[in-house]
Amino acid sequence: MSAAVVIGAGVNELVAAHMLARAGLQVIVLSGGAPRNEEPEIGSIAFDVLRAAGLPGAVDSVWPDPWASAPLPGGGRLDLWRDVGRSVEAIRKLSARDAERWPRFCDRMGRLARMLETLYLQSPPDPLSRNLGDLARYAGLGFRLHRIGRQGIEDLLRIIPMPVADLLDEWFESDALKGVLGAAGVMNLCQGPRSGGTAFRLLHHHVGSPPGVFRPPSSNLRAALAAMPGIEMRRGATVARIAVREGRATGVALTSGEEIPAALVVSGSDPKRTLLALADPAWLDPELARAVRNIRSRGVVACVTLALERAPDWSTLVVAPSLDYLERAYDEVKYRNVSRAPYVEVRSNGRLQDGRHRVEAHLQYAPYALADGVSDEMQRARLGRLAVETLSRHGPDLGATTVESVLSPRDLEDRYGYPEGQAEQVEPALDQLLWMRPLPELARYRTPIDGLYLCGAGMHPGGGIAGAAGYNAAREVLRDLRNK
Amino acid sequence: MISVANRNYDTIVIGAGHNGLVCAAYLARAGKRVLVLERRERIGGAAVTEEIFPGFRFSVYSYVVSLLRPEIIRDLDLPRHGLHILPLESTLTPLHDGTKAGDYLAQWGDHDQNRRELARHSLRDAEAYDEFGRLMHQMARAVKPILAMVPPDPASLKPRDLAGLGRLAAHFRGLGPRHFNALSKLMTMSSADYLDEWFETEALKASKSASGIIGTLLGPRSPGTAYVLLHHYMGEIDGVFRAWGFAKGGNGSVSGAIAGAARAAGAEIRTGAPVERVLVVNGRATGVVLESGEEIRARLVVSNADPRRTFLGLVGEKHLPGDLVEGVRRFRFRGASAKVNLALDALPDFKCLPGAGPHLRGAISISPSIEYLERAYDQAKYGEFSRRPYMDIIIPSMIDPGMAPPGKHVMSIFAQYAPYHLNGGWTDARREEFGDAVIDTLSEYAPNLKSAILHRQVVTPADIESTVGLTEGSIFQGELSLQQMFFLRPAPAWARYATPVHALYQCGSGTHPGGGVMGAPGRLAAQVILKAGV
Repeated sequence: MSAAVVIGAGVNELVAAHMLARAGLQVIVLSGGAPRNEEPEIGSIAFDVLRAAGLPGAVDSVWPDPWASAPLPGGGRLDLWRDVGRSVEAIRKLSARDAERWPRFCDRMGRLARMLETLYLQSPPDPLSRNLGDLARYAGLGFRLHRIGRQGIEDLLRIIPMPVADLLDEWFESDALKGVLGAAGVMNLCQGPRSGGTAFRLLHHHVGSPPGVFRPPSSNLRAALAAMPGIEMRRGATVARIAVREGRATGVALTSGEEIPAALVVSGSDPKRTLLALADPAWLDPELARAVRNIRSRGVVACVTLALERAPDWSTLVVAPSLDYLERAYDEVKYRNVSRAPYVEVRSNGRLQDGRHRVEAHLQYAPYALADGVSDEMQRARLGRLAVETLSRHGPDLGATTVESVLSPRDLEDRYGYPEGQAEQVEPALDQLLWMRPLPELARYRTPIDGLYLCGAGMHPGGGIAGAAGYNAAREVLRDLRNK
Repeated sequence: MISVANRNYDTIVIGAGHNGLVCAAYLARAGKRVLVLERRERIGGAAVTEEIFPGFRFSVYSYVVSLLRPEIIRDLDLPRHGLHILPLESTLTPLHDGTKAGDYLAQWGDHDQNRRELARHSLRDAEAYDEFGRLMHQMARAVKPILAMVPPDPASLKPRDLAGLGRLAAHFRGLGPRHFNALSKLMTMSSADYLDEWFETEALKASKSASGIIGTLLGPRSPGTAYVLLHHYMGEIDGVFRAWGFAKGGNGSVSGAIAGAARAAGAEIRTGAPVERVLVVNGRATGVVLESGEEIRARLVVSNADPRRTFLGLVGEKHLPGDLVEGVRRFRFRGASAKVNLALDALPDFKCLPGAGPHLRGAISISPSIEYLERAYDQAKYGEFSRRPYMDIIIPSMIDPGMAPPGKHVMSIFAQYAPYHLNGGWTDARREEFGDAVIDTLSEYAPNLKSAILHRQVVTPADIESTVGLTEGSIFQGELSLQQMFFLRPAPAWARYATPVHALYQCGSGTHPGGGVMGAPGRLAAQVILKAGV
């Protein structure tokens, strides 16, 4: 039995590990860093991925309903529901025109998202491939594309490079509605809603959700995968380097000094770290090494955990009152400052033991490197305060609120290995998506080192589609094994 | 006056901008009887030379030549009709207050001199510069055939379109992975991110990325601005011009030369003849009606006006399918560029490089850093003009003394951002306020400027719209952003110059490959028309 080592224990890594184990490999999963099993996994779940990992039907997912609640400036709030008709009624209070357009918008976006989902559960297309199998696959995709009709093709071509602000301005007039949708377009991105490529991100966050829902569900997928037998899980095992001999990966060495030989190394670490820090960069040709160094991973999100005295009467609260609000929040991060009025999205996250309610706030934009260079301690305090202030300025009355913990982009890097705090490892900007994710040369999950593969969120299709990168990577690994 | 109404025309071209004239010239050379109708008293559209102040002549709007297609120059024999391009070889970028106040970055035409100057700022950048230039040349070469291509319709299964898509795929395949990948990045990245991968000198990155924001309400950090970096290199590979050139006699002589070629081929050009609408009978264009009420018939009508004016103005919604009307309505214009034209008593004296050196014969770029440009953009996003704008300046009288009286000078300042949708709208007072912002900013670098000004003309996007007829003052007849390019320009399914109205064609910059005094849309439209044999 040949051995495979999987670096990391996130959803992508675990999906890849189980797929390899089910194909008969002996798989060791090295889980360094902080365990996150108790936290729900946020991301849409594809049945194909579950089936491949051997987990069909054993996952509990939670679809908040309403899926977003946006506080309105004059009090009250906009609730967007899973039921399109119910959302129409909610939107009607803001704009009759927008309410009338909502079902058509949901339908158009839903069709595009389904097209994307097909694309996401495959390795990214290689536009230059001459391989017959690839060409047949593209012909199939082209055929499917033609089935969605002229409007679908035109929409897809236009929307992919478009700013989400332009897309939403074409459809709607209500600032609150555009803010909620625009926020999905910029999530985790060091860009504002007027940047090209953000409309694509709105679709990305829509993939796997029913029409009219633009936030993914949360689930226990990671915990379920970790608990499933078939793989050997080594907790607290941090990889120091990937051993390479004569251009082939031969195993890994841990920080403890232990060496684990393996013919296959599948890395869930980000591509930059995998190829420049864990493996010896001398294995890359200089041009590729330079390209890898140029991969952008600008983290812009701080995670703030708050404890509320009162149970919230919403499940996802979105503070993004308008597209201009989001754009202004972005303006400041360009100059390496924290947004004075940030985009904050809060998910309620259950009850604490002392009866208080825990909520997780996603605060954007907070840059990784600050212009004013304050200490980490001060920075955390500042971000926590900012989250509470922003919520109390815009949000419904939350009652007494305490900041439980703050993770700045730097903390996210230290704790979870997110490069520069970027949860998607490779910033999901237009030039780092699809066949360019993370780089055109690396987009097929293989590396220049034989036996070393990439399977993390830095690979196509990125974060938010739970396990899909791991699923695509494992399929490529198995294909190579078959062809050997 | 000859009554032209009774004459029999094959083709009417609406608008005597450079693309309308190019289209007319090609059609006339193919033996068509062509009539060009121009609303203004002068031809040229935005490529005109006007004596705004006695003795001082200005390229009022567009002011340099860099992208005019060499095949057009050859086919129409433009030099014989008076086109003479004078090189603009250098770019001077005065630096910011801050650590390098009083210094400058110059980019010279001479390779060694340029390298020495760059090395003064960064040895690494001087090393990278040549490699960057080589890659840009290769990329420009890769893009060039696309500029000369009629875009296929990606949603059609017609053999013509499938063949077009096949040709496009074959072209990309032929580039090989290295160049294809580089091109993919150029098409999708922001110019700031792209240049960050190559250089460290702020002024170099800023003056280069400035070409990516010209004419568009985007900043150097907006994705999709990187590919415009290529434009700078496009002119060079043609082997006809240097990167930037100045047309002797101003940009009016560009349109003048094209008009000369069109007339020589038999085309007729009427100025002061504003078209009110296109005559459409049973879904077919049969001629035009002038504002005077005069009707002129022709077998074919070609519009050089932008998509909004053409479809929603001249043709009218009732003759058009709903998806095209929707497409044109959402086509973005958002002009953001202004001109300040100055008549000067003396040359500007730059603090960083005093005196009248060779730098005054080239371009002067007020773009000290990416952050400077980005902050200028930030203000415009929310409907304010930039208090400290980006500027591209030339002094035409230094290159072509005929532009100003002896001893005097003219200065052309292209300034951004002055958004068309200004909060509160453009008024005379706001226009002058923007002019003041430009002059105040420039005076920080050349303190003698204010006292040297004899006359000043400020042209805002609102002025460009009302005078030249470009919607929202968009100098490219619609933003050149990714979702408005190639087969999406101006609307999907209608990017092949034809329109849903039979015998009506479009030939302006609002079609592929867009603006920049290229002439390519006019030429491609003429080719499509001749091939269709209508």
